[in-house]
Amino acid sequence: MIAVAALVVAPLFAGGLSLVVHRSALLHAINLMSMGTLVAAEITITRTVLRDGPFTALDQLVYLDALSSFILFIIGAVGLACSFYMCSYMDEQVARGVIAPTRLNLFFFLFHMFLLAMVVATIANSVGMQWVAIEATTLATTFLIAFWRRRESLEAGWKYLILCSVGISLALFGVVLTYYSSLHVLGDVSQALNVTQLLPVADRLNPHVLKLSFIFILVGYGTKVGLVPMHSWLPDAYTEAPAPVVAMLAGVLEVVAVYAILRMRTIVDHAVPSDFTGGLLALLGFASFMTAALFILIQHNYKRLFAYSSIEHMGIAMIGFGVGGPLGTFGGLFHLLNHAFAKSMAFFAAGNIHRRYHTMEIGHVQGLAAAQPWTAMALMISGLALSALPPFASFASEVHVVTALASQGVPGMPFTSTGGMVSFALSDQFGRIALTAVFLISAVLAFGGLMYRMTGMVWGTPPEGVLREETWTLGHLPVILLAGALVVFGFFLPPPIQQLLEQTTMLLVIQ
Amino acid sequence: MQVLSYSGSQLVDLCSALLLLTCFAIVAQRRLSACVDLFALQSAFLVVTTALVAYLTGNQHLYIAAALTGVIKVIIIPRVLKKVIDRLNVKRELVMCVNVPAGLLICGGLVMLAFFISQPIIPLGFLLTRDSLAIALAIVLIGFFTMIARQKAVTQLVGFLVLENGLFLGATAATYGMPLIVELGVFFDVLIATLIAGIYTNRLQDAFDSVDTNQLTVLKE
Repeated sequence: MIAVAALVVAPLFAGGLSLVVHRSALLHAINLMSMGTLVAAEITITRTVLRDGPFTALDQLVYLDALSSFILFIIGAVGLACSFYMCSYMDEQVARGVIAPTRLNLFFFLFHMFLLAMVVATIANSVGMQWVAIEATTLATTFLIAFWRRRESLEAGWKYLILCSVGISLALFGVVLTYYSSLHVLGDVSQALNVTQLLPVADRLNPHVLKLSFIFILVGYGTKVGLVPMHSWLPDAYTEAPAPVVAMLAGVLEVVAVYAILRMRTIVDHAVPSDFTGGLLALLGFASFMTAALFILIQHNYKRLFAYSSIEHMGIAMIGFGVGGPLGTFGGLFHLLNHAFAKSMAFFAAGNIHRRYHTMEIGHVQGLAAAQPWTAMALMISGLALSALPPFASFASEVHVVTALASQGVPGMPFTSTGGMVSFALSDQFGRIALTAVFLISAVLAFGGLMYRMTGMVWGTPPEGVLREETWTLGHLPVILLAGALVVFGFFLPPPIQQLLEQTTMLLVIQ
Repeated sequence: MQVLSYSGSQLVDLCSALLLLTCFAIVAQRRLSACVDLFALQSAFLVVTTALVAYLTGNQHLYIAAALTGVIKVIIIPRVLKKVIDRLNVKRELVMCVNVPAGLLICGGLVMLAFFISQPIIPLGFLLTRDSLAIALAIVLIGFFTMIARQKAVTQLVGFLVLENGLFLGATAATYGMPLIVELGVFFDVLIATLIAGIYTNRLQDAFDSVDTNQLTVLKE
C-alpha cells in the first residue's frame, strides 16, 4: 500500500519542490528521483497484481488490476526515458536562451502535475475521478505545448485546450449516463461510479443507457487519443510542443486515454454484446488508420509526419481492440507498448535534429548521418519500427492485429442496428478479405511515406554552417535503451511483461 | 405526497426550461458582455434548479453543489470574463458564421434531436426529474453549436461554459448529482480551465492583435 501512496506522493512532492528550487541540476535530480520512485512503486504493484490478482487500496479510492498495471508500466518506462532526455535537452535550451532560466521551474512543475494527473487517471477506482484526472492532464499540458510562446505555439495550445476540453465534456455526459444506469441497480450509494461496484452488476445495467454512454465516452476520450475525425488539434500540438513534452503526449497520454475507453468497455460489454463496442472501435480505427496513412504522404514537416504516424498507430491498436478476441486484443495492447517506445524515440531524435538544424522542414534537413550519427541511427530505427518492419516488436504486434482481422473480420452490429444500407456483413469472407486488403494498403502507404522522407533526411551532405559532430550526452542513453527494447521484444517478451499482457487480454476479452 | 411530487416535478421542469431559454438568448445575443451576463443568469437558474432538487429529494450534498455553482459560475467566472473583455476592448461580436435567425432555427432542431435521442432512456428515470435529461442534452448540443458558430475566443469560452452547465443540469436531474468528490473535481477543472483560457486570450491578443480565432491559421496543411 506504500507503493500506491508513493505513486501519487512522488510527483506531488516533486512538483512542489520544483517551484522553490532554482538550480537546474537540482531540478533534474528531483525529477529523476521522483521518476525512479514511480518506477519502483510500479514494479511492486505489478508483482502484487500478478501474484494476488486485482486489489483496491486507500479506502476503495484506488483500483489496480492487470490493465492499470500495464498502463502504469508504459507511463513509468516512457517517463523515465523522458526524464533522462530532458537532462540534456532542457539545459541546452536554457543555455541557448530559448527558454528563460526562471521559467524552468514552471516547466518542471507542470511536467510533474501532468504525470500526477495521468497516474491518478490510471489508478482511480471511480470513473468520475478518472474523468477529472484526464481533464486535468489537458489543463497541465496546454501551457507545456505553448511553452515556446511563439504565435504558432499559442495557436496550437489554444486549439488543444478548447478541442480537448469540449471533447472531454462529452465524455462527462457519458459518465453521467453510466451513473444514471448504475443508480437503478445499486441504489443511491456514493460509490456507484466505482469500477469495483459496477463490474459485479454490469450485466444488469440498462443496455440502452450504456450504449449511449459508451458512444459519448468513445467520442470524448477519442478526442484525446486523436482518433479521426476528432484529431485536428493533434498535428499542431505535436509540432509546437518541446520534444520531451511531445514524447510524453504521444507515448503516454494517448495510452491513458485509450485506457479510459477500454475500462469503460469492460463494463459495457457485460450488458451489451461486445460486437457493439468492437464495431465502433474498429470503425474509428479504420478511419484513423486510412486518413493518417494518406496524410503521411504529403507532410513536409518531420514533427507533423510523426504526429500523423501517431494517429495511424492508434488506429491500428483500435482495430486490434475492435476485432477483439484474444489475438486482436493482445495485438492491440502490445502495439500500444511498441508505439509508445518507438514514438518517444522518434520525437527525441526530432528534438535533436531541431536543435542542430533549427528547422522543422524535411527539405532543409540533409546529411544527418554526417552531422549527427547517433541521432541519424535513432531516426532510422524509430522510422523502421514505426513502419512495422522486422526485426522490431511493432512488426510482431501488427501481424497479430492483421491476423485477427483476416480470420475474424470486423463485428458489424452497430451498423446493422442503425440501418440496412451499410449492413453488408463485415465479417463474411468477402468483407474480411476487403478489410485486410485496405489495412495492408494503408500500411504500405504509411511505410512508403515514412521511409521516403527519412532516407532523404539521413543521407546527403549537411548544409553549410551545420556542425558535423555529436558528443555523447545523457540524452542518448534512453534512445539506446528504447531501441534495444524494441528489438528484444520482437523476439522475446520478458516473462513478467508477457504475463501482464496475457492477464490484461483475459480481462478485456469477455466470453 | 403524490400532488407534492407532481408539482415539484413541474417546478424542476420549469427551471430546466428557463436554462434552455437563456441558451437561445445567448445564441441570439451579439454583444459580448451581454453574453456573459446571460451566462451568469443561466448559472443562477442552475443554482435554483439544484437547490430545488436538493429540497425535494433531501439530498444534502446537492446544497453544496448549488452553493459552489453560485460562487464559481454566478460570481467568479463572469467577473473574470468581464475583466478579459474590458482589457480586450471589444464590445460587439460582429463575426458570426451563421446569422441569428438561422442559428436559432438550428438550435430548435438540436432540441428536437436531443429529445429524440433520449426518448428510449427517459422512462427509466426518477419520476421527479425525468424530462430534464433531454433538456440537459439539448443545452449541451447548443453549447457545442455556439462554439462552432462563434469565432471570438471569449464567446467560444462562453459556449464551453454553457455546455458545462448542461452537463451539470444533466447530472443533477438524472441522478440527483454525482458523488460529491467527483463534483468537487469537476468544479475545480472548470474553474482552472476558465482561468487558463483567460490567460490565453490575453496572450493571443498580444501575439495576434486579435482574439478572432479565424486569424489562427498559421498551422494548417
